[in-house]
Amino acid sequence: MSESHTRKVLEPFGWVFQMITGLLLFAFVIFHLYITHLTSHDALEYAKVVQRLSNPAIKAFYWLFLASASFHAFNGLRAILLDTDFGGRNERAVNTLTMALFVVAVVYGGLLLITF
Amino acid sequence: MEREVLFRIRRFDGDKSYWQDFRFTAKRGMTVLDGLYYIKENLDGSLAFRASCRMGVCGSCAVKINGKPRLACETQILDIGSTLEIEPLDNMPVLKDLIVDMDDFFRKHEAVKPYLMREDDDYENPKELLQTPKELHAYYDFTLCIKCGACYSACPASATRSDYLGPAAITAAYRFCADSRDEGKEERLSLVSGSEGVWRCHFNAECSEVCPKSIEPAKAVQKMRLMSAIHMIKSIFR
Ligand code: SF4
Ligand code: FES
Repeated sequence: MSESHTRKVLEPFGWVFQMITGLLLFAFVIFHLYITHLTSHDALEYAKVVQRLSNPAIKAFYWLFLASASFHAFNGLRAILLDTDFGGRNERAVNTLTMALFVVAVVYGGLLLITF
Repeated sequence: MEREVLFRIRRFDGDKSYWQDFRFTAKRGMTVLDGLYYIKENLDGSLAFRASCRMGVCGSCAVKINGKPRLACETQILDIGSTLEIEPLDNMPVLKDLIVDMDDFFRKHEAVKPYLMREDDDYENPKELLQTPKELHAYYDFTLCIKCGACYSACPASATRSDYLGPAAITAAYRFCADSRDEGKEERLSLVSGSEGVWRCHFNAECSEVCPKSIEPAKAVQKMRLMSAIHMIKSIFR
């Protein structure tokens, strides 16, 4: 039973944030559906999307949405992998890989958002 | 009341696994364990199963009856119906017929240090440790575990990860962590909070469903998980 630092931090934080991001996503998805489908009929047109994203508050919202979704997804993937014997044997690699993917998704998505 | 019943037993002879059917007349009051003894004494002496107390105390006789892990000695044949499919417990290697190898299960139990740990242990001069009824009830239910392995057999997390501690061991850890006399909480928490510990639970609660002592291992695992999370997050800031 090794005592690496990641295992100490990642497991409890992973669990707590999985719950928090789960709740956030529920609210975010509803808000996203509201502004894209319920406000007007042409809300999905390119020009409208660009116009919306020029608002820094909306930008920040989508970035938080992205961060929550990526964390929830990659931390979920981490948990699924660790649920197997293969994952258990490669715990370090699983933790590093999934969290790196999370960071990449957030940074890359963040850069795309900035360009708007 | 009497009824002709069919016992379909999953047997294993060391090489191959096969189903074998036994028919006999079950009387009212006969438990599944009585049925197994009847078969062993009258129909097939080679049938292997484990039992001792025949009164729900020792935890030896747990088997799967129609898919659900239960104590053979506490299950009435006539309550189940006229066809009973009996199999060994899951998530443990089968040794012969209904007997499984529980070494791993007990090793995990042992690994969480399921005993009172105190600084002032002194067997020469034993000292009385007082506890209020409230302090007793905080953990009492969880002392009732008979280590039958039913929960471990039903647990989906134990099925996919072989080193997962499992519901019974984590329940035992919680039983001592919630005991006001114990001083080993820190040590025990670090033992159950690895990736093979509390985090693997899906809260499927199948363990609570099958526990013959109704002690709700799923609840203990959740409590232990919360305790571990708080403890670990606190320890970062210390
Ligand atoms: S918790 Fe219940 S099902 Fe699990 S070993 Fe103990 S008595 Fe058996
Ligand atoms: S024989 Fe002891 S619990 Fe069933």
